[in-house]
Amino acid sequence: MKCWNCEQETRGRPFCPGCGKIAARPPGATFFDIFELAPSYDVDIPALEKQFRELSLRLHPDRFAQADARERRLSLEQTTALNEAYRTLKDPSRRAFYLLKLHGVELDREDAGVQKQMPLEFLEEVMELREELEEAMHAKDLTRAQAMAVDVTARQREALHEAAKALRALQAAPDNAELVRKASHEMGRVRYFTRFLEQVEEFEEEAVV
Amino acid sequence: MAYSDKVIEHYENPRNVGTLDKNDPNVGTGLVGAPACGDVMRLQLRITEEGIIEDAKFKTFGCGSAIASSSLVTEWVKGKTVDQAMTLSNKDVARELALPPVKIHCSVLAEDAIKAAIADFKKKREARQGKQSAS
Repeated sequence: MKCWNCEQETRGRPFCPGCGKIAARPPGATFFDIFELAPSYDVDIPALEKQFRELSLRLHPDRFAQADARERRLSLEQTTALNEAYRTLKDPSRRAFYLLKLHGVELDREDAGVQKQMPLEFLEEVMELREELEEAMHAKDLTRAQAMAVDVTARQREALHEAAKALRALQAAPDNAELVRKASHEMGRVRYFTRFLEQVEEFEEEAVV
Repeated sequence: MAYSDKVIEHYENPRNVGTLDKNDPNVGTGLVGAPACGDVMRLQLRITEEGIIEDAKFKTFGCGSAIASSSLVTEWVKGKTVDQAMTLSNKDVARELALPPVKIHCSVLAEDAIKAAIADFKKKREARQGKQSAS
């Protein structure tokens, strides 16, 4: 998308690289573009944080209070996008879900894509875990539920680790459908394990009361 | 978000909760999950030689709508033929339970579970028939 002021290509940056004016968000611009990063699982978090702070100040709507209507509107748009981008990229699992989305798989959407179909063995594993947790909850056995949570947290970490490997491999081979499926399955595991851990948290809260 | 009366009714008094023996040759098991929320649903059917669904049980770990959807479909398919059960659509479930758009996927899950259970049963039966004709 070209800059509204100087017609230079803005490449999804918050400020035009040519004239330095605040830019519009081009359709399809990624969260990585805002920070001038290539899409990757590996992000330098301290550098991201530093850039986020600087951009927050430069894009702040207060700084555009005297500017014209277009720039005032863009400062709001860019600030919203910046916050969302930072929230997504600083967190490893959000970042992985987002990268997966850039590869065309949105686990949050309700459509049943082939890529999302989990292997039956995994669904069996989840079912068993949920049944065992239900038993522990019936028995009001918080210790057992917490021990399960420790184990599931480890499985979740492993799944994210495997997803990261697939996402890194996809950087070199973006069209490899097998790798997309692998990353999608692993992030699916992360999602199911997250749900399990939420259940344990709810149980813990009830137990405290 | 408010649940409809029918969802609440099924949620508070779920029909057919439980398990059937998954190793029973006449039992088909369907296991499905929703990657959007991380919930799982298991639905089992016991089917006679004539292809009539004589029993249906489910176990769902999920929200009220998912539980109500699975409870409702087990009620519906009992006494039906396999072919009749295959025509069951999530739209009927969503309409009956007055599910809001964000909960439509719960009814899809229930439809998928029925279909998966029937597919599992058919696979078992074919394997058995294969064995019989081989011997």
